[in-house]
Amino acid sequence: MATAMNDKSLYAPVIATIEEAKMLTTTEKYFKLKLNNGNELGHKPGQFVEVSVLGIGEAPISISSSPTQKGYFELVVRNAGNVTGALHKLEAGSTVGIRGPFGTNFPYEETKGRDILFVAGGLGLAPARSFINYVLDNRGDYKDVTILFGAKSPTERFFTDELKKISEMKDVNLLETVDNGDASWTGNTGVITTLFSKINPNPNTTSCVVVGPPIMYKFVIAEAKKKDITDDNIIVSLERNMKCGVGKCGHCQINNLYCCQDGPVFTLAEVGQIPEAF
Amino acid sequence: MTAKTLSKENFKKFAENLVKSERTIGVKAKETKYEFGNINNADEIVMDYDVTLRSPRTFFQPPKEKLFDFKLGANTEIKPNIEADPFVLLGIHSYDLKALNQMDIIWDENNADQHYKARRNAATVIALEPTQASEWSFWGSMDSSTVDKGYDLLLTDIGNKYYVEVGTEKGANLLSKYASAEDATNDDNTARDKVRSELPNLCKADRKVKCDTDGITASMKNSYNNAIWEKLAEKCYSCGSCNLVCPTCYCFDVKDTIELDLATGQRTRKWDGCLLEPFAKVAGDENFRENRADRFRHRILRKTVYVADKLNGELACVGCGRCSSTCLPDITDPVKILNELCS
Amino acid sequence: MSKPKIAFFDFAGCEGDQLTVVNLEEALLDVLEHVEIVSFREAMKEHSDDYDIAFIEGSCTRVADEARLKDIRKNAKIVVAIGACATSGGINALKNIRPLETVRKEVYGENWKDYDTYRARGIGEVIDVDYKVYGCPMTQSEFVKVVKSLLTGTQPDIPNYPMCVDCKQAGNVCVFEKGQTCVGPITRAGCDACCVTEGATCWGCRGLVNDPNVDAHKEVLEKYNLSVDELTKRMATYFTNELPKG
Repeated sequence: MATAMNDKSLYAPVIATIEEAKMLTTTEKYFKLKLNNGNELGHKPGQFVEVSVLGIGEAPISISSSPTQKGYFELVVRNAGNVTGALHKLEAGSTVGIRGPFGTNFPYEETKGRDILFVAGGLGLAPARSFINYVLDNRGDYKDVTILFGAKSPTERFFTDELKKISEMKDVNLLETVDNGDASWTGNTGVITTLFSKINPNPNTTSCVVVGPPIMYKFVIAEAKKKDITDDNIIVSLERNMKCGVGKCGHCQINNLYCCQDGPVFTLAEVGQIPEAF
Repeated sequence: MTAKTLSKENFKKFAENLVKSERTIGVKAKETKYEFGNINNADEIVMDYDVTLRSPRTFFQPPKEKLFDFKLGANTEIKPNIEADPFVLLGIHSYDLKALNQMDIIWDENNADQHYKARRNAATVIALEPTQASEWSFWGSMDSSTVDKGYDLLLTDIGNKYYVEVGTEKGANLLSKYASAEDATNDDNTARDKVRSELPNLCKADRKVKCDTDGITASMKNSYNNAIWEKLAEKCYSCGSCNLVCPTCYCFDVKDTIELDLATGQRTRKWDGCLLEPFAKVAGDENFRENRADRFRHRILRKTVYVADKLNGELACVGCGRCSSTCLPDITDPVKILNELCS
Repeated sequence: MSKPKIAFFDFAGCEGDQLTVVNLEEALLDVLEHVEIVSFREAMKEHSDDYDIAFIEGSCTRVADEARLKDIRKNAKIVVAIGACATSGGINALKNIRPLETVRKEVYGENWKDYDTYRARGIGEVIDVDYKVYGCPMTQSEFVKVVKSLLTGTQPDIPNYPMCVDCKQAGNVCVFEKGQTCVGPITRAGCDACCVTEGATCWGCRGLVNDPNVDAHKEVLEKYNLSVDELTKRMATYFTNELPKG
């Protein structure tokens, strides 16, 4: 059960304070938050919260931090509408409303002892990071770790300090690409699927976690399948209009599934045959 | 529980007493139609109506409902609004009660919705087996003529009196407080059974869904790529009328309003409909159900497959015929769609 | 922070939208807590060209209007079109369906050449418009809603679905059930279906909803025995500039 909940109404948030806020790119802003009631959010990697700017509205935002970090949680918010626009105007010390955590999580328990292949496109790095950091904090529990990250351009990359640190780790293989490079960019260019030619995951031991913009899924999934990774080991996180977060309002339905309850994290085995999924 | 009878005359007195002492919601004439509303005078009550404009969900999930008030400041205040003035809902037809029973499950499953629950608990339901069917009604073939739960009292018109099935203690108390009812006799039981068995025939002969529940769900699962959706949706306004009159539609949108002091406001929810264009849109303008036909299909599949799945296979269409009658281009009638797609 | 300065301007129209603002009464005082009105011919004598937000009523019907509109656009940070005439041309656009010369002769008689006029347009066809407040006249509540959006820097939540939603929420008997017709099924909702609620029918003053199913509605209107001539008139009242051509 969600921890950040008002006990009288499913729809009333609890208050959280922004401890730190900073722009990551021109459109993405980072927030470090703490619940005012002193509770841990108690989320699992891959879950989301509903964030309120009272008077403007509420938006579902995936949690970007790993639960191994105690005392706070982190969000990355793209400025894409009224609520996220209002969030972008907030700085440290401001308060927001929080409900959650909601939804299914990445299979961090089930994948212990396996190789993990992360494929994150653009803002998809934010939810993936909750699992990536969990894996890094429990590195001994997992075997080979590969991270593919693709951004549209070098200026749209974020968490660059962390990416740099990861790139220096000997036990993690980080491959990056940008769709369109610039003068400063010396790395790979091309869409994220081009990175698949550079890896050789073992289909028997690999779990592949895919998070990115809607358009990305079918192309990445096709690549993962080409590597013989099976449907129950391809894990996706889907975006929908998750308005209430508690399986009532109906906006996030993917055919029979409620993305906010049955998802947002699914295996391809669960959603591969669902017509509205991709 | 026990069964009673109320002569029509005694029912009139019962209704008068109710209206005097309880907040009573019943069926009244509205222009050429009928609608549930507050009853101030027992003479307003219509018992032999065919169908109401909107379903009684209005009283459990109002068209617009405040979820909480807020006050911004150093210590932001959030005050949930749980409204629950006791009321008597008089005259709700069997098919609408069936829908209400389904909504009890939906609002309660996984995360119980306190706003709905408070209203539902505040209600005393006096159900009524229909004596008329509208020209669009097809509840006769949707297993919705009679319902065996969800009511506090259930009335059946057996001629010169109402047969009163007492469903709960709340119902028994209401009856003994406001009416002088008699115990039902064997003859009354027989009369009620006869009326009941005839109920499905109140619906017009051509208003029949030909398949059974399992057949419908199976056929609808197989019809996903049928050309019918595109064909019918060509004429769809995406106006959501079918959603908004439906007793088993419960989707809602959530909005904040702030007062001009820019410090106080409310969060409200409002009826929404999956036929409306913005329904599946997310910020940034991606629309996950952009085509009219996809939205049109989604509603029918919700009723016959998706929501049915949450209801142990029971269809979330009770045959009230409201969507059929409200759809101006006449494309959404479940009787036509189900009969065309069922094998 | 100093209050934003706002100004009201009128072009071809009846000033019904500005009257709606004046009629806000107490709510207007609340609005004035946040803004300073520097120009409002309907309510005050003073005028200033130093403003941040321009509310423009009426449609562009003359060449001379264009220069004035462009001037306002240059002065204002934000331009808000208020009412049907400004958002779509409103009923002024009715003249666009007939030859201009005929219309000018009919209205101005033999001196018609002295009066310069051309196709009536919403101001968005001449200058960039940041916000639109629909309706003839606009409703007080939507005007206040847009003002609050301006104050909070958000996009106002203006419905993009047909009037039928408002009618169902209000519990109205559909006018088609009463042997009348309306254009609600293709009209943008947002007024609580006030006309139908009060016993009239919807004439579409809030303009077409995005992606209206006009063909379906023409078929329905014909089915309900509306003659082609009546149908054309009904559609033209507020939709002339918005209907797909052809």
